[in-house]
Amino acid sequence: QAQPVPAYQPAAPSGLYGGVDPSMLPSQSSAYPQPSYQSPAQPAQQTLPLNQLYSTDLLKETPPPITDLQFPPPPLILSPGTSLTGSPEANAPPDYFRSTLNVVPTTSSLLKKSKLPFALIVRPYTSLHDSEEPIPVTSDTIISRCRRCRSYINSFVHFTEQGRRWRCNLCSLLNDVPGGFDYDRLNSNPLNRMDRAELNYGVVEFLAPSEYLVRPPPPLVYVFVLDVSYASIQNGLLATVTRTILDSLDRIPNENGRARVAFLAVDSSISFFTIPSDDQEDKEVSMLIVSDLDEVLIPSPDNLLVNLKDCRKNVDKLLTNFVGYFANNQNTGSALGPALKSSHKLISQIGGKIIVFSSALPNLGIGKLAIRDENAVSGKQKEASALLTSNNSFYKSFAVECNKSQVTVDMFLTGSNYQDVATLSNLPRYTAGQTHFYPAWSASRVEDITKFTKEVSNHLSMEIALEAVLRVRGSSGLRMNSFYGNFFNRSSDLCSFPTFPRDQSYVIEVSIDEYISKPYVYFQAAVLHTTSFGERRVRVMTLAIPTSKDLTDVYASADQLALTNYFTHRAVEKTLSSSLNDARDYLNKVLVDILALYKKEIVPGNLGSSSPLQLCTNLRMLPLLLQALTKHIAFRSGKVPSDHRSSALNRLSTLPLKSLISYIYPTVYALHSMTDDCGLPYDGEDEPYEIPPKKHGEIVLPEAINATISNFEKYGLYLINNTSELFLYIGGDAVPQLVNDVFGVESMNEVPIGKAELPELDNEFNSRVRNIINKVREKDGSIEYLNLYIVRGPSMNENLMNTNRDVIPLRMWSMSELVEDRVSASVSYKEYLTQLREKISS
Amino acid sequence: MSFEAYEDATGLRYAWNVLPQNKVDAKNYVVPFSCLYQPLRPTDTPLLLEGPPTVCRACKAILNPYCQPDLNTRTWSCPICKTRNQFHPQLVEMPFQTRPEAENIEYILPPPATQQPYVFVFVVDLCLDVEGLESLKENLIVAMNLIPPDALVGFITFGKNVNVHEIGHQDSNSSFCFNGAKSYTPDQVEKILGVLSGDLKASRKPTPNALEMPLNPANRFIQQLAMCEFQLTTLIDSLTADSFPVEKYHRNQRATGAALNVAVNLLSSTFSKTGARVMLFTGGPATYGPGSIVDTPLKNPIRSHSDLQKDATMLKNFRKARKFYDDLASTASLAGHTVDIFVGSYDQIGLAEMEGLVHNTGGTVIQSDGFSTAIFKQSLQRLFNRSASGTLEFGLNATLEVKTTNNLKINGIVGHVTSLKRKTAAVSDTEIGIGATDSWKLDGVSVHSTYGVYFEPVVETGSTFAVIQFITSYQHSDGSRRLHVTTSQRPCVQQGQNAIDYFDQEAAAVLVARQALYKVLKDNSTDAIRWVDKVLVDLCSKFGSYKVNDPNSLVLSPSLNLFPQFMYHLRRSNFIQIFNSSPDETAFYRHCFLTEECMNSLIMIQPTLTSFEIEAEPEPVLLDSLSIKPNRILLLDTFFHLLIYHGSQIADWRRHGYQDLPDYEYFKEFLNLPRVEAADILVDRFPLPRFIDTEEGGSQARFLMSKLNPTTSYKNNDELQILGGGQAETGAVILTDDVSLQTFMQHVNTAVVKPS
Ligand SMILES: [Zn+2]
Ligand SMILES: [Zn+2]
Repeated sequence: QAQPVPAYQPAAPSGLYGGVDPSMLPSQSSAYPQPSYQSPAQPAQQTLPLNQLYSTDLLKETPPPITDLQFPPPPLILSPGTSLTGSPEANAPPDYFRSTLNVVPTTSSLLKKSKLPFALIVRPYTSLHDSEEPIPVTSDTIISRCRRCRSYINSFVHFTEQGRRWRCNLCSLLNDVPGGFDYDRLNSNPLNRMDRAELNYGVVEFLAPSEYLVRPPPPLVYVFVLDVSYASIQNGLLATVTRTILDSLDRIPNENGRARVAFLAVDSSISFFTIPSDDQEDKEVSMLIVSDLDEVLIPSPDNLLVNLKDCRKNVDKLLTNFVGYFANNQNTGSALGPALKSSHKLISQIGGKIIVFSSALPNLGIGKLAIRDENAVSGKQKEASALLTSNNSFYKSFAVECNKSQVTVDMFLTGSNYQDVATLSNLPRYTAGQTHFYPAWSASRVEDITKFTKEVSNHLSMEIALEAVLRVRGSSGLRMNSFYGNFFNRSSDLCSFPTFPRDQSYVIEVSIDEYISKPYVYFQAAVLHTTSFGERRVRVMTLAIPTSKDLTDVYASADQLALTNYFTHRAVEKTLSSSLNDARDYLNKVLVDILALYKKEIVPGNLGSSSPLQLCTNLRMLPLLLQALTKHIAFRSGKVPSDHRSSALNRLSTLPLKSLISYIYPTVYALHSMTDDCGLPYDGEDEPYEIPPKKHGEIVLPEAINATISNFEKYGLYLINNTSELFLYIGGDAVPQLVNDVFGVESMNEVPIGKAELPELDNEFNSRVRNIINKVREKDGSIEYLNLYIVRGPSMNENLMNTNRDVIPLRMWSMSELVEDRVSASVSYKEYLTQLREKISS
Repeated sequence: MSFEAYEDATGLRYAWNVLPQNKVDAKNYVVPFSCLYQPLRPTDTPLLLEGPPTVCRACKAILNPYCQPDLNTRTWSCPICKTRNQFHPQLVEMPFQTRPEAENIEYILPPPATQQPYVFVFVVDLCLDVEGLESLKENLIVAMNLIPPDALVGFITFGKNVNVHEIGHQDSNSSFCFNGAKSYTPDQVEKILGVLSGDLKASRKPTPNALEMPLNPANRFIQQLAMCEFQLTTLIDSLTADSFPVEKYHRNQRATGAALNVAVNLLSSTFSKTGARVMLFTGGPATYGPGSIVDTPLKNPIRSHSDLQKDATMLKNFRKARKFYDDLASTASLAGHTVDIFVGSYDQIGLAEMEGLVHNTGGTVIQSDGFSTAIFKQSLQRLFNRSASGTLEFGLNATLEVKTTNNLKINGIVGHVTSLKRKTAAVSDTEIGIGATDSWKLDGVSVHSTYGVYFEPVVETGSTFAVIQFITSYQHSDGSRRLHVTTSQRPCVQQGQNAIDYFDQEAAAVLVARQALYKVLKDNSTDAIRWVDKVLVDLCSKFGSYKVNDPNSLVLSPSLNLFPQFMYHLRRSNFIQIFNSSPDETAFYRHCFLTEECMNSLIMIQPTLTSFEIEAEPEPVLLDSLSIKPNRILLLDTFFHLLIYHGSQIADWRRHGYQDLPDYEYFKEFLNLPRVEAADILVDRFPLPRFIDTEEGGSQARFLMSKLNPTTSYKNNDELQILGGGQAETGAVILTDDVSLQTFMQHVNTAVVKPS
């Protein structure tokens, strides 16, 4: 087991994410009614001790304590009085806004010396729907902003001159408090400004006045581009997607009835559909086919993009009949590029989403793509540049054009042949969309239908924000330097999102341009957007981080998960700009540098080859994560189909942190030996501060085990979750009772393997296992639904001649998730640590 | 046999019914040896023969009454090339084809394997107002009921874009959309519609059962009417006006050219061996894409004749558009397809540019102010008139071949033809009209279709007569292939005969007019007038008798004496005096003129005027302002207009309502008389003329005035006093600068009597 008390584990429940001892808060914290602004401009700040440094000998601590992966970051230690109201939620929670360094070095040279990157992880939305993440809203449209740095008033400003002015915490400028700031217009009452949401919460939303509107709020617009070529008819995509859209129409956020839809069918032609409104009873849906791919031709000036509510019956009819129109289509063409241009033209005045469903490689018109020769370059230095970069400049330039006109492109790719995910994913990348890849998808498998249907439906239900821009501001002397994620960087620090998805996160690297003299630095991320219900709003997230000129403090408060997120982006970047090899080398070098620095500067002494391999406890998982990353399908050496690699690279650069970590280091549960409470609803009191938190009535998950085969018993039952797939691994020598309880079959040979669902059996163990699978599948803020693969482990009795020929590949696939072991050419984690020790000692 | 009787028997009217004897004569006849040929001229006694004709083995001329058959040797001599041919060995009696009446005969042949039933492709403009569109829809549905059910139909609509509607499937409501701004090549059209002609040819095999359509990818768009009637009717019902926004002070974006381009190319690549009509219905100017005649801003006017004369840019655009349509016309024509244009617009639509499409394919033009007018409705229905036998009155995919004995060479045809470029020994190097060939594509040929054929006599041969054989091959609406053969013999002028006695001045006037029109089209109107004057003067010099330098001494023989009048009216006609009309109108008039037979053409040159007086028989009167009298009703027939003009007295009575009084029954009948007469004329008239009822001082009376010889115009009053001796007070005063017939004749006479 791990060390019992990691230093950064919160000692007491002082706020969701740890933080300050409540006893240290100002005494008036329980009641701040009287608007007394007599406090000095700069209140006497008690300097609290920052997080303490604990060192760990990595080699001694194997297997690594993987529960650490669920720990919150080292707390941000703020002195009392740092925030105006002392609200425990003055700082944005790390799920929304976190830093790689929870103590910021005071100079650029110190930062450089630390070998640690300084970056922010921004995730303005943490769930798909507003109802699941209510955020306090300031709805009186009074938005007070600093005249100089344009930051929004927040919990960390200071009032002066009897509360008439406020000093900006980012740039120290004095600003006037706007009129009406202390007045509740809604109820016509005086308002205690200290009750205002923006002075209490680190995540807050402002309802914006009309000056923030460049044009009337646009409606939500969805253009569905449906591949109707032979491939799509053949694998059942068209039938499934039309049915799914039909069934999901009610989930589209459309409370105000403004949402509009259009449908385009693509093969070698582009078919448009005119959809009359339901009150035009004599009018029928009609199909207009455009085969001239040379230039965009919108065949009708109206009725192509229609109000969903007004045309609902006809939309239903169209979707119901859609497959029939193309039932016998033998056409193998795919004019996706021209179809995209047409879709764009259709909505370029309004903006919105273009959602592409395709099983084919675009082979006609602009943006046509050729199959790339994977065999020739696979495993070679140029693999990445030959296969993983864009093969046609249309996609990026068109994406930029889309971004400018507030159009997002999402892709759902379901081909059984090469689709060039690398190139196609450029569209979502620069338009704040997403590429969803379903390799060899087929409607003949119910599991494939389930996954696709659920994900598409969730995607459509997402309450996207429109016309959004994200800007992150920092205290004077701090500069937002590099930006990672799916969006377009419109100007130096303005990230543009035609629609803002809720299932992605972003990384921004910060550079220190000036010496930081203040005890705290502040960051503020603001998303100006239009909600799906037509309101212009700003979501503002504010973060205060203590500073130090001592590297020990910096190390003691570094966030290994956030660091991993940053390094992942850099590795993706290295892959695309250079090679897979360079990406892996980069990850290794990062670790060597950190460990060497740690050895040299943080815990000097103990030199020589036999010295321990030390790192502070709060970073002890970093080597594990970064090595696991080199074994990830995105980066591992060896032969990986480029579409899979591209899709993985794409996921790595968009996944929110929590999912990202388990995508890199899969979560493994041993089910056969789980405690009796697992797989059943938790019957105790809520325990929000446990890790993981427990909630009454929720299914209890077993404690995760290390992802290594050495943990696997030949008779055991394991569940592996990499956030992309679930593997249910049954040991080859499992007792018949277990096999029977779980799978309802008599012998191991009858266990169905591959993509499957567990049968519902009348025994408790089966139900507990299914409960756990279902619980694992629940993912907040993600549209994804994980497919379950059943894998049979090896056994002495196994007759390979007679077994299903998928057994071995499946087994190898699931074993490749055990990232502490050797995976293809990479060494095990233990060997890796030994190598690292040698490297830093030499 | 009178000229008219011969015309009824053969469909032929010759300008000269004799050939010149010597070279000098040939030159001095002035009017070429030429004829008007109306192959499908309705006749009471049509001669129809089943089966293939007997053909000369050398020149492929067809057995005819001038072939000197010999029953003993069972041989016949080809009058064209003098080859002797064998009859069938079992021949026992003279074949019917050698009898005199067989000079005009039609053979019924089985359809060739590649031929399908008639195809009708509707090309419908959707840039219409509500009333126009609704009326057009009604009329299209009526038209669907008139088309034979086994015919194939296609449906194309256009506005800013062009939509080819899929009518081959029961359930689909789909169309293929083409960019109205672009001109697609036939290959592109095929590719876009997925009707590659290569595949099509392979799949198209002769089927014994006509109903059993071969699997044809084009059937998605061109389908047997019986199979798609419901689909098509639903489609027509559901048509709505083009909804592309029209900016303020702009015209609609109307891609007429692109629509025609798609229609013609679709047909030519899928039905190239089958008769077809592309029927354009358009309600305004072509403003968008290829073949547009004006752009959308209303501040830019549509070209007029004077614009085209003065403005180089406009002329350049005009020529460019014209070239576009001419190229399309030759595609259509060579594929055997006909293009019709139905205009429902006050504005010009671009007919002047599109002219070639109808000219070169034997198409029809209907000019109306809107699709709710009677002219449009009735003309459209009349196009589908059935003959006594119940078949349509037109043939399609027609060709005409002319064979002559070696004493005649062919100059060419002025009429709705396209050259098939087959130059044989019988073809002259001198071209009149479309020449340098002995065969032409007619495409559409109706009972009205008449062609002006021009020859050049060769006098050295020493033959005493010439034989001309006209072979018209066409697809009949009953599905058969027809070969219409007219064989004509004309003698050379004998010693002692005067050629002018065999001069058909009516036919000659029309044939000269056709040449003049052709000159207007090719050169310009001034040249044409000069040329007409020269023909007239030369002809009168040659055949008139006069004393040199004495204008008043000129005497013309009865066979020539009307000719000067015809030329006078021709000079004043809309065909030559184009500046009073819009280019579209000119094109329309010209088109009708080049379609019609002799008498109707004459009416177009010199309208007829009939006078009605109480207690007098109706009588034709001079087309002269002197014919207007207060107690007269005049009926003017210009072919394009039927105008009833009530003299002031009659108009007065009518206004007072005498016709409704019991005692004035006779007056009511009198008023009705011209209407009955007009209705008679209407029966055979196509397109329907515009009907005008007016009276002295009425606003529409100008139509009559413009046609009358301005004997009493201001300018001529003085001269008139000298000439006619003071009748001016009875006539009306015409405001015109044109010279009167009298003045004109004076000039002609003076020129004729000049010493040569
Ligand atoms: Zn500021
Ligand atoms: Zn012969």
